[in-house]
Parts: sequence; structure tokens; C-alpha cells
Amino acid sequence: MPELPPDDPIKSRSFANAILIAVFVLLLCVSWSLYQEFIGLRPWRSYQNRFASAYSGYVQKQMQARKAAEQQVESAPEYKKLEQTLSDATAAAKTQDAVIEKQIALVDEQRAAILHQFQEDRSLVGSLIYDYEVSPSPSRLEEVKNAKAKTYAIDWPEDGGKTVRKEFNYDQLNDTFNQLLDAKAQLTAREGDVDKPEKDAGDAVAKYLAEKLPGLNSSQLSGLLKTVQQMDVKLIQINVNPPGHEINDIGGVGLTDRCQSCHVGMDPKYVPAAMTLTKADLGLQKSNDAPFSSHPDPQLLQWHSLEKFGCSPCHGGNGRALVNVTKAHGRYADWLWPLYYPENFEAGCQQCHSADAWTEHAPALNEAKILFRDRGCTGCHNYAGFDNQDEQLKNTQREIASLEKEKADDNLKIPQLNKEGDQAPDNATAQKLYAEATDLTVGVSKIDARVEQLDDLSHSLLQEVKRVAPDLKEVRMKLNPGWIPYWVGHNWEFDPATKMPQFRLEPDEIQAISAFIWQQGIKGPALEKQPVGDAAKGKDLFNSLGCLACHSLGEGAQRVGGDFAANLSRIGEKANYDYLVRWIHDPRVRTRPYCPFEHRDLGPEDYAKHGLPYQFDLEHSRCPNDGHELVVEQATVMPSFRLSWQEARDIASFLETQKHAGAHYDQAGFLNDSSLADKGKALVDHYGCAGCHELSGFEDAARIGTELTTEGSKPIGRFDFALLYTKAQDGILPDGKESPRGSWYDLKGFFDQKLANPAIYDTGKYKPNPMDRLRMPKPNLTSEQRDALVSLLLGSTESTLPPSYQYKPADQRRYIQEGWWIVTKYNCIGCHQIDIGQKSVLMGLPMYQSDQAINLPPVLTSEGARVNPEWLKSFLANPALNPKDEDRNGIRSYLKVRMPTFYLSDDEIRKLVLFFEALSSQQEPYIPQRLAPLTETERAVARGIFTSPAAPCLKCHATGNLAHDKNATAPNLVLAGTRLRAPWTERWVTEPATIIPGTAMPSGLFVRQGDRWVFNGPLPSAAKQYKADEAALLVRYLLEMTPQEQAALGGRASLAAPKTAPKAGAVGGMK
Amino acid sequence: MINRKWTCWLAAAALAALAAGCSKSGNQESTSEQPAATTAKKAVDPATTGSISGVVKFDGAVPKYKPINMSADPNCVKANAKPVFPDEVVAGDGGALANVVVYVKSGAADYSFSVPSDSATLDQKGCMYTPHVVAVIAGQQLQVINSDATTHNIHPTPADNREWNKSQPPNSPAITDTFARPEVAIPVKCNVHPWMKGYIAVLANPLFAVTGKDGKFEIKGLPPGTYTIEAWSEKYQTLDQTVTVGPKESKTADFTFKAGS
Repeated sequence: MPELPPDDPIKSRSFANAILIAVFVLLLCVSWSLYQEFIGLRPWRSYQNRFASAYSGYVQKQMQARKAAEQQVESAPEYKKLEQTLSDATAAAKTQDAVIEKQIALVDEQRAAILHQFQEDRSLVGSLIYDYEVSPSPSRLEEVKNAKAKTYAIDWPEDGGKTVRKEFNYDQLNDTFNQLLDAKAQLTAREGDVDKPEKDAGDAVAKYLAEKLPGLNSSQLSGLLKTVQQMDVKLIQINVNPPGHEINDIGGVGLTDRCQSCHVGMDPKYVPAAMTLTKADLGLQKSNDAPFSSHPDPQLLQWHSLEKFGCSPCHGGNGRALVNVTKAHGRYADWLWPLYYPENFEAGCQQCHSADAWTEHAPALNEAKILFRDRGCTGCHNYAGFDNQDEQLKNTQREIASLEKEKADDNLKIPQLNKEGDQAPDNATAQKLYAEATDLTVGVSKIDARVEQLDDLSHSLLQEVKRVAPDLKEVRMKLNPGWIPYWVGHNWEFDPATKMPQFRLEPDEIQAISAFIWQQGIKGPALEKQPVGDAAKGKDLFNSLGCLACHSLGEGAQRVGGDFAANLSRIGEKANYDYLVRWIHDPRVRTRPYCPFEHRDLGPEDYAKHGLPYQFDLEHSRCPNDGHELVVEQATVMPSFRLSWQEARDIASFLETQKHAGAHYDQAGFLNDSSLADKGKALVDHYGCAGCHELSGFEDAARIGTELTTEGSKPIGRFDFALLYTKAQDGILPDGKESPRGSWYDLKGFFDQKLANPAIYDTGKYKPNPMDRLRMPKPNLTSEQRDALVSLLLGSTESTLPPSYQYKPADQRRYIQEGWWIVTKYNCIGCHQIDIGQKSVLMGLPMYQSDQAINLPPVLTSEGARVNPEWLKSFLANPALNPKDEDRNGIRSYLKVRMPTFYLSDDEIRKLVLFFEALSSQQEPYIPQRLAPLTETERAVARGIFTSPAAPCLKCHATGNLAHDKNATAPNLVLAGTRLRAPWTERWVTEPATIIPGTAMPSGLFVRQGDRWVFNGPLPSAAKQYKADEAALLVRYLLEMTPQEQAALGGRASLAAPKTAPKAGAVGGMK
Repeated sequence: MINRKWTCWLAAAALAALAAGCSKSGNQESTSEQPAATTAKKAVDPATTGSISGVVKFDGAVPKYKPINMSADPNCVKANAKPVFPDEVVAGDGGALANVVVYVKSGAADYSFSVPSDSATLDQKGCMYTPHVVAVIAGQQLQVINSDATTHNIHPTPADNREWNKSQPPNSPAITDTFARPEVAIPVKCNVHPWMKGYIAVLANPLFAVTGKDGKFEIKGLPPGTYTIEAWSEKYQTLDQTVTVGPKESKTADFTFKAGS
């Protein structure tokens, strides 16, 4: 019996089940990975497919519509006429063209026939002449003569295909060859002339079609359709990797951007620049998942090419991620740069445009920057680029102080060294010591030079330092004392639109602050007593001078005017009349100058000590005690309107009427309670009042807030949501409502809530001492303004993009960048349009609508091209254009609205002039066009144009004659020579409406004839002989205009302006 | 033999250098200390002093000078009735040479001399310096006065002393200054009147004399000893002589400059 073998483990144990399971698992894995590979990880595939089908439908529809439209246009009689003209012209040209072409062909044949022989002969003669010139001899001359005389037989083609055998010698060959060249040139030119009507007609047809049917034509659309239908579904990726950076350098400067893989409509291949595509176009307006629109602002894409920028650098989001929308948009915890919400899109601009005060196509960002300055955010928060003249000034003064110290030390050391030298044991040592003393002496003189420069710089900086809020050293002269505590505690109640933020103050704190403010105020010298003015006249002046460009009047819906400065509806309740008069007459006037070195306000006694009159202004700005620059002006941006005292009294009297009936403020006895002063001072220090106000003892106070330059780069963990942390993550707003966008635990959420009410982050905390609470006051902002500021903060990043992406131009554009900071600082845009499309405050006021728009201040969009920079410099320094700072406009004396004097620093003037020039692409330095002086004949023609009834220049242009200028609406042309640039003036007299639409200057004074401008009106017969450009002639005449010439025209000008006849004497008043 | 001698000399020189180095560094630390105070100086005993006298001459022809053209400043023209000649070489009869500073160049270093309290005077008169060569002792006051009706500036250009340049309008107070270090001699110029040139000789001690037109000099108050006497001439540089003077002895030393050299 065979022995049973023991159980064979191989036979008895099977792994079949395990293997089966493994196979299934493996299969699952494979299919899962295949699914992920083709669908799961590639959601963009489905986006692209959806786009292709939706968009091809749209293009098809467009194409059909376009075809129909084209047929309609083509059947229109005008089009038919144009087409007829074209075909006629083609036919007409055809016969002539054929003749000319035949002639050209013959000339070409003839040229070819002689070319070879001519070239050979020319080389031969040339070489013989060279030989003769190198070593002249009669035999060589003979050889040359022989070579030239030798004739060659040539088969000369003639008209009709015949050839004639002709003999040519050297000169004949040469002449014939040149004649043929000329003939060909003439024929070609004639052919061009013959073809011109055909070309013109063709252009006319194309222009007609382009006008009637803009956009892509049907054949272009059909091409597009093909492209879309054959769309290659693939990942679309932009890689920009500066040298030394890998593609996957996450968070580094290497840019990888795949957004267009889903946002297919951005691709100009599918949506050309001439088209725009919206969700509605695709019939997907209701879909939340149709990222197919083209960019709403194609101009931005022209400036920021997709190939360089992609999407995420501007919009945020994770440009690499593709797995799902949340990841791609970077709205998850680990991604530092989530996609900006639509209301904050302009944050993206700020990342690279932080050096701009004004960024084109970013209106919200521009508003945010104006708010940031105008609302005094800069008073507490440093932000690079914003006015830091106060810091510069402090640094300058510190530097001066340390240099003075160094100088004093050196001055002590110099005699010591000399003494040592005198006593030195040997001459060499003595020389060394003497030399050291001499070097120190020279060093001291260099210190003097540096201090002098720094003093000048201080002078400039002192002029540039402006505070957003009033000087509180003058409270005692300016304010109704009872009003002060009311304002400190209830400023939003008094003026719901006030710029001053609302502080969280307890009643005792209000009293202490008010008392301190009152007690630190200076007490004199007393203000001059002012007689009462005429309030009605004052009202007229207030409404017409341009005060409303910055200030507003009226409350609530009645509010009219600008937001740049205070609402004056209740100013009568708080302000002292005498102070107002002084302020309106010249807001720069201080009661006492402040000496930054002695840290105190000087008084008459300081001047008397040195036998000096109590006089301090920009020309008398040195301290009588130590010679350093004083603060001689109020740090206000409010300019001087160069008013008479009477006008100032009228306006002040009007403003004193601006109050609520029965307004009454209790006398606040505690204001004089000196025991409150210390507490008040501590509170003023704590809350940083000196960030915006000038206060005794706080002149050098530093900013108390966080620096915000790179606030948007802070990781979320560094923002203290305090007890709202969970609520923020759960999407519950501080008021208990649900956040519309879910979790607000992000930078946007923090900023938004902080700006809405900074106190919320104290919610639920036990802080019995009010000084422990968050001290940021509540800013007075609308929700749009808040969004704008949130955008600014979100964009305030330490950019991760390469420096080449930053907008820090080194060319002329830098002047534009610098200039805008000044333009927005002084609110030039309150009165002027400077940027194309930008509207001034005045433009929106009721008194400047429709035909009254003529009374608006000038549009400055072409100022740099219009005026001579030297003139602009003098004008900006003194807009009265008169050394006496007269009560008038220097250039547009006819306007009631007045260009005030801003007392800009030299540096600001320089920057503004460069700004205007750069804005109009004018080269710096300006070299005026040299204009030939007029001949007598030319002058006669120019006078004819100038005084023609068809161009009654002096009917509108001022002459300096008061009677005449009552009706004037344009500047005195006597100023043209120093003020205007010739090329601009020529464009202005021919086509003013293209430079300033809506201008009172009429267009069509000249018509284009051939290549010159010809006056469009009757001219004296003698002028008909003038064959050059008449617009250029008029410009030369204008730029040569003298008071004498203008006076001499008086008689003739009176034809055009019958009421007035300016006499020489009257014009003589013009200086 | 010779080698050993040299070695000794070298060693001595090295020691001297070391000592000099030490005293130098010591001086730098305490600067108020008088350099000469390291070795006590002797007072001169007036009972034993002698003198040296002599005549300074020069051998050769007097250079020919053209009159100075002062027309640039009418005040200068007015101040001089006669034409004025440069006073670079002022010669007397028989080749006597004026304006030569004769002084003890060495040999008197061990004696202390007091700085006289009265000042030397340099006048600007007729747009010329009077005297042409003024001698002061280091530390002695030099008074510069302006007797002209025009503004001068006084601009000494020393090699060893401190340079200065001061303006002096007519009728203004005298300018006084001192020179700390002996220097023979410091040129003085007036930048307004370029022809004006003079010299300030700054001497270490009062043992000096300046020759007049007769070329004579006498140095008095010499303690007994051996001296190197130097004669300094603006034009002909210097000549040295060694003279030994015994107590109350009067010695003679004449100097003759060679005009051609």
C-alpha cells in the first residue's frame, strides 16, 4: 500500500481568492487612475468642450447675422454707388494701365539690351581713365579717347516687337541708360496717378463697410468657427521663469499660470481682441459655472499681455492648480494669495502700482488712495509712497542738529590743534597738526554748506508738510469753546459726513481732551477786529470762486460740492468771525511761528529782542534766535484766493450764517480746569490726535499705528480676530447675520470688519480701563469706500513677482507717477480735468451744467503740449501772473472761478511742470520751435485773418480793456508768445474740438487744401496771393502779438465786436 | 678696528633714535609740555655776554630794476612822488648789502631767552612793505599797519608756520599775530598789489640783526660760546660762519655774497 504522501502545501493551499481580490483592487485602481487622468483631474477638459459647443453656436449665429447684414449693406444704394465708382475706376485705369505697362516693358527690354555692353564699356573706360590719372601720358589719353569713340552694334528693341541694329559709342550708351532710368521712373509715377482713383474708390468701399459693419466680417467669422470646431482640448499654460528660477518654484517668482485652461474665453485665438464675449452671448447667463467671458477691459490686456502676466498675478488665486475651482481660486487655508473678490479686483493693480497715486483704469484704487490721505489714515499709519515730508523734515532737522554739534566740536578742536602745532618738537609734526587744523576748518565750511542746503530743504519740506485737520494751537482764536467738547464726543452727529473718525470716548475723557486742547492753545497776539461784511455778496463769491470744488454746503440730500474738505453747513455755530476772515483772506497765516529747534512757538517778544519786526512768512522764515527755518505757515492745503479784505469779510459773513436755527452750546467751565490737562494730554498722546492736528508739545509726535505698506502680505495668523475667530470661520458676521460669502476668516474679512467698526475686535473682552481698548477710531466710510480701502490693503503686498513686473518706470512716465501725488494732494482734480475721462467736482455742480460749462476752469489734458514750461512754472508759483498777487486770474481774467495760489514748494512746481509735459509726451528740456519773423506782406495777410468777420478773435479773447473784457471768454493773446507752444497752437486753431471737446473755440476756421490749411472765410484780395499754410501764419502772428499790435487792430476789431473799441491807452494797462 | 668703530656708532645712533622716539611719544601725550622743557635751559648772564659785528657785502653788479608800474591802483601812484623800484637788492656804498638777516643759527639752544613784550611793526606805505624784511622772535607780536589810502591784504606764505590771509582796509586797526616756529624767512604778499613782496624772519632767539643800507650789523648779548652765524639774503640765499665768543668779547665777522652765484 503506497504510503499517502503528506499534504502537499502547494496542492492543498490556494491563493486564488487573494489573487482575485488583488486583481479586482488593481483593476479598480487602474480604472480610478484612468478616470482621474482623463476626467477627475482634468475638469478643464469638460470646460473646454462645453465652451467649444456653446461658442461655436454663438459664432454660427453671429456669422449668419453678419452675412445677412452684409447683404443688406451691399444692396444699399450708397454702397452700390461706391462699388460702381470702384468698378468704373478699375475699368478706366485698366486701359491706361495696359498702355503704361507696355511702355514700361519696352523700356525694360531696351535697358536689358544695352545693359551688358554699357557695363563692360564703362569698366573699360573707367580703368583707362584711372591709368591715365595715375601716370598721365599722351598715349594713354589717346587710348581713353579711342575707347570712348569706339562704337558697338546693339539690337535695339522698338515698339511693336521689332528690333533695329544701332551703333552706340560710350557717351551714347551712358546717356541712353540714364534716359531709360528716368523714363521708367516717370512711367511708374504715371501708373500710380492712373491707379489713384481706383485705390481711393477701394478705400471708400472699405471705409463704408467698416463704418456700417464694425467687427469681424463673415469670412473672418467662418474662419473663427472652424478654429473653434477643431479646438484642440489641452492644458493652456503660461510659464514665465526669470533666470535661476524653476517652473515649480512655488511662491517664488517663477510664474506658472493655467487659468485659461478653464477661462477659455480669454484666449485671443478664440475671442479675438475685436470681440467681447459675455455669459449672455453664450446663453449661459444663469450658470454659475461658465467661466467663458472675455476680459471686460481689453485695454488692460493690451498693457498686461497674457503671455507675460497670465491671470493669477493680477487676480490672485493658485495659477497652477487645476483639480477644482476652490483649489484653482486659492480659497483654501494653505494658499496665501486667494482670488480677489470682484469688489476688490483692483487690489491686483496695487501689487505692482504701489508707486502710483493715480492708476488708469483703477478708479476704486485711486479713490482709496485719496481717502487714505484725505481721511487722515496717514496720520497714524506709515505707508511707503504717501506723504512723508513730516518724517523727512524730522530727519533733516535731526541731521542739522547733529551737524551743528559736529561743527561746534570741530571749532573747539581747531585752536587746540594749532596750539599743539605751535608747540610741536619738530616742523614735520607741526605741519601735520596745522594741516589737520586746516582740514577741519575746511570741513567746518563744508558742514556750513550742508546745513545751508538742509535749511533750504527744510524750507521746501515745511511748505510741503500738510496736515489733514486744523491747527489746534489756534482753537482759542477760532472756536466757540462750548462747541469743542460737543464735537469731540459727537462729531458724527454734528456732521454726518465728517472726515474725522469717531473715537470711543467716555464722558470724562471727552472733558479731559477738550480741556487739554483748550489749554494748550496759544493766546495771542490778538486777532484784528473785522467789520461785518455783505453776506449776500459773500454767498455769490463762495459759489463762484470754486470753493465747492473741495468744500460742500447743505446737509443730507441737499449736499452740494466736493468731499475733499469740510462741509461748511454749520460752520457758523463753531467759528469765530475774525478768525474766519483772516483764514479766508490767507489760510497760511499763523498767529505764531513755530521753531522746531527750540520746540516752541515764537512771539513778538522773540523778535523784539533782536530789534526785528514781528514778521514771518516764506521770505522771512528764519528764527531770529538761531537762524533756522521756522514753521511760518499753517500746514493746510487750502490755497489763497488772493481776495481783498472786503471779499474775505463778505465770505466770512456768509459762512457765519451757515448754522442750525437755535443752535446753542453750553459754556464748558471745565475747559479751564488745569487739573484735567495732564489726563487730556495723555489721552491725546494715546489716541494719536497729533497725527492729523497740530498741537503744542506734539509737533514731533510719531505715527501711532501699524505700518501698512505690506499689510496684505501678513499671514492670516497674525491678524487678531480675537473672540470672533470661530464666528469668522463659521461665516457669522459680528452682528449675528450670516456672511453672504461664508467664512470671512481671511484678510478681506478682517480689513472689512475693522474698517466698518474697529471696536468689534474688543467684543466680549473685559477691559475695565478704556485705555486698554483698541484705539483705532471708526472711520466714516460708505460701503463702496470701504471696499476700495480693503482693495488697497489687500494689494499692499511684498510682491512675489519679479521686479520687472513692478510699475516703476525710469522714463518720462516716472514724472507722471510723481506728479499725481501732488495733483491729488492739492485736489487739482476738484476743478480741472487732467486725465482723459476723469471728471472734476465742479463739472458735476448744478451751476456748471449745459451752456454754463463755459465758466468751468480750463481742461488740462493737453496742458503740457500747450504751454511753455517756463511760463507754467511762473504761473504755478503765482497764478495772478503779477508780482502784487493781484485779486484776479492771471490768464483767464474773465472766469469767476479762480485759480488760487497754492504756495507750492519749488520741488512741487518742478514735478508738476514735468508731470504735465510727460502727460502730453513732451520732451524735456523744452526747446521752442524757431519761428521766422513775419514779413510785412505776411503780417498784412495774418491781420486779415485775425480781424476777419469769419474769425472774430477779439470778440472772445480778452484784450486788457475792462469794457471789452466784460464779455471776454478767452485769454488775452498778448500772452501767447510767452505762454503757448507753436505746434499745439496750430493744432488748436485748426481743430480745437479734438483737443478739448466742447470748447468755446470754434472749429472749421481753416480748411485743408492739399497739404496746407487755408482760411475758411473772406480775406482781402491781396491775401489771395498767399500760397503757404495760413494756419501756421496765424500762429506765427499770434506768438508775435504785442499790446501795440492788438491796440492797432482796435478799429478793425470793433467791426467784429461792435460794443467795444479797445484804445491804445486802455491796452496800455496790460503789463 | 674700523668695523668695531662703526658698530659702536651704529649702536649709539640706534640708542639716540630710540630716545628720540620715546620723547616724541611722550610729547604727544602731554601736548602742553614745552618741547625744550625736557632739558633745563640756562639763563643768560648779562655780565659775561659779548657781541659779534660786521659788514655784509656783495661781490658783483647791482641788478637793474625797472620802476614799478602801480597804475592799477591810483592810490598807490598818488602815494609816491617819485618812481619806486623793487627792493629785492638794496645796496649801499662799496657793495654793502641791506636787508640781510644775520642770526645765530646754532649754538644758543641751551639758553633760554624771554620773548619781548613789545611788538615788531610791518607798515604798508606807498604800497610797499616797510621794512622790506622784518624780524621777530617766535611768539613775539607782529603788528601790521596800513598807512595807505587803499585796501591791502597781508598774506604770509610760510613753510613751517600757519598760513593766513587777512584784509586791511585804510584806517583800520593794526593786525597783530604771532608766528610760533622759527623760520627765516616767510614771504609776505599782497594779492591786491602783486608787486608788493616782503619777508618776515622768525627767529628762535634775540641774537640777530638786520643790516641797513651800510651793510653793518651787530649781534649783542651773546653768552660765551661757539656759534654758527648765518646771513640770509632774499636774493643771494645764505652764508654761514662759525664764531667763538669769549666772555665780554667783541668779535667781527664779515659776509660777502657772490652776486653771480
